Amino acid sequence: MGHWLELFVHWASGLGLNYGFLLDAFQRGTLGQGALTTLLLCAFTIVGSLLAGVALAAMLTSGNPWLAKPARVFIEVTRNTPTLVQLYCAFLVLNMLLTQAVGAANPLTPFAWVVIVISLHKGAFHAEALRAGIEAVPGVTLEAASSLAFSKRQLLWNVQLPLALRFALPSLINNLIDLVKMTAVASAIAVGDITYAAIMIWTQSDNVLELMILILGFFGLLSFFVNCVGRLLEARLRMPGYGH
Amino acid sequence: MAIEASGVVMRAWPRRHLGKLFLLIGLGAALLYFALQSPVSKALLQWSPALARGFAQNIVISLVAIAIGSLLGLLVGALALSPLRGLRWPARIWVQCFRNAPWLVLIYFTTYVFPFELRIGGVYFAFPDWLKVTIGLALPASANIAEIFRGAVASIPATQWEAARSLAFTRGQIFRSIILPQCFKRMLPPWMNLYAVITMGTALASLVGVHDVIDTAQIASNTVNKTGFTVVIYLSLLALFFAYCYPISRLTQALERRYAFY
Amino acid sequence: MPSIESVGEPLVRLRDLHLSFAGNPVLKGIDLDVHRGQAVSIIGPSGSGKSTILRCITGLLQPQRGSIRVGNTDVHTLQQEAQRIELRKRVGFVFQQYNLFPHLSVLQNLVVAPRKVLGHNRSDAEKSARALLAKVRLEHKADAYPGQLSGGQQQRVAIARALAMRPELILFDEVTSALDPETVGEVLTVIRELTEEGMTCVLVTHEMRFAEEISDVVYFTENGVIVEHGSAAQIFQNPASERTRTFLRHALGDPGRRPVLANDPYLLSNLSRYSLSV
Repeated sequence: MGHWLELFVHWASGLGLNYGFLLDAFQRGTLGQGALTTLLLCAFTIVGSLLAGVALAAMLTSGNPWLAKPARVFIEVTRNTPTLVQLYCAFLVLNMLLTQAVGAANPLTPFAWVVIVISLHKGAFHAEALRAGIEAVPGVTLEAASSLAFSKRQLLWNVQLPLALRFALPSLINNLIDLVKMTAVASAIAVGDITYAAIMIWTQSDNVLELMILILGFFGLLSFFVNCVGRLLEARLRMPGYGH
Repeated sequence: MAIEASGVVMRAWPRRHLGKLFLLIGLGAALLYFALQSPVSKALLQWSPALARGFAQNIVISLVAIAIGSLLGLLVGALALSPLRGLRWPARIWVQCFRNAPWLVLIYFTTYVFPFELRIGGVYFAFPDWLKVTIGLALPASANIAEIFRGAVASIPATQWEAARSLAFTRGQIFRSIILPQCFKRMLPPWMNLYAVITMGTALASLVGVHDVIDTAQIASNTVNKTGFTVVIYLSLLALFFAYCYPISRLTQALERRYAFY
Repeated sequence: MPSIESVGEPLVRLRDLHLSFAGNPVLKGIDLDVHRGQAVSIIGPSGSGKSTILRCITGLLQPQRGSIRVGNTDVHTLQQEAQRIELRKRVGFVFQQYNLFPHLSVLQNLVVAPRKVLGHNRSDAEKSARALLAKVRLEHKADAYPGQLSGGQQQRVAIARALAMRPELILFDEVTSALDPETVGEVLTVIRELTEEGMTCVLVTHEMRFAEEISDVVYFTENGVIVEHGSAAQIFQNPASERTRTFLRHALGDPGRRPVLANDPYLLSNLSRYSLSV
């Protein structure tokens, strides 16, 4: 391992890039810890955002204005304001109020706040995709299902949701790729993700360009991975004869 | 489907509008009431010119970024459609790189890698941080616009190309007089949407020390140092961005619906 | 040959049916009887409410006035979804646009309702589904998906899907109107065989020759009322009403097929709005 790293550092220095910090155990550890934190963030927020998205989509399509209206307002506010401001509103405002109320017993760490905010933010986008998917199921197909004596619930689970999911899947995957990139904003409230770790290193040594390339590669790989899983899912759920 | 959906929306419009109007009037009245009452609102009033100046900085960044991004993006998009591999591949790589990179990382990149001043022919030009952030936003914007452009060109039916070719147009002529005019109309909604996203992206400028509206709010919050004021100032940040971006989003949707009929 | 004056209680009995959409009257007093084992055709110009009648019979639409009786069920009084479901187990429906479930294979399309709705076990359902596919001559397409079939094949699967519920009655709603001319025949053959076997069928159709050939009773509707009805021979050879005569002259002159409806709703290439966010 160390040997390969040295080779890489040597090779990079030939290109004029100084990756010497990778040989420093402490800095390498910081970076590795940051990468792990980003991975954890992604895992939590992907699950959280999907849950939030399903809940919001259910509210939107419930047909009950007392559920649909608040969901719609929440989604519009979320879509039309910066994530950073939402994060500040949560961490600097809600967290402050919470701490004032319960003192040191406040269980929510900055990491938890990032997970909550990004989950809700991307959940709003998922909800839009799912709603569009549900509305795209043709009325005639639902009519056909009712003519076969399906009940409302059977119709929902056997026809409407499977089709809606297939319609919404490309958008959902796009949202998740965007979500992976978005986790970089965690560095703004000092969650030790990979971006934050990189900032810590380059304030000590002047390695901005090298670190940037490393981070961009890391995020590129993550997005690529999410994309591959998404494509696999799409292929499994493909309806032969429709779409490309 | 599209026709049905828009029909429902149109019927729902006046009623929804009325509710919003009442809400707005109520909010305004409440705000006015508190403005005359509480020290929090007095402080907010006192800080609002600074907030406005900060927000103006955000707007300037967003406008310059979309301008640079659009020019660059159209160029890259055109190259990506070029029949020459030597032109096509660099454009594709550009798009892939900047579309898949986190915007925040790109902003750090341009802020810390670019020098603080530029020397052009013996004259030094200051290279302020806000301009670096603008370029940091313009890079991903250009990649997205290149994609929007490519998508728009691809969405023009092949029959249009055939029809034009049968009229003995050259490739360049087809592009200029048949395809592009149709493209721009299709590009408008996603382009406007991208502008709204860039505007929201300017919030990241505060992280690299640009004195924008969020930076102003943080300073204000720390200076006044009152719980109520902190709550109000961050909520007004949300309100400011929402007030600017929501109309753009509505307009985008309206345009999308109108073009859906073509 | 059973005549319109068949003895006994009719299987389907509509009396004075009125229905309007948003104040726009579509049915203005429809009386119609279908006896067991009969094939009944409803013909008439487009927009005369023919499909609406079928949708009322199976409870997909609720009339504002009048009575609908199917067997012992008073459809117009049904309030609960559960009661309508009981009705629909006995009434099959075949749509103009086939409306197969695109995410399920042909076999799954046939077994999904018997398994989920009737509670049949998997192997029984699949066995009878394969038998039905053989009946419509599509046993080799059991594992294909609807999107991979031609219109005529899809429509035959749709008929088999309706038959899989073992209904007492099947309603056919312009089932050949969306098909290419060359595949119309294969679908009509299947329907003809069903009527010959004694299945009770109600057809809304623009295929006049076919209606004349297979129907026991023909109803001619226009503007939401029944202009006249009678045996196929009577309506086609010797219509009483001038309106019927005019309609038949035009309809028999050309096939009267409507253009294929709009685009396939499943060919949505991309639903995604630009979903970037910062």
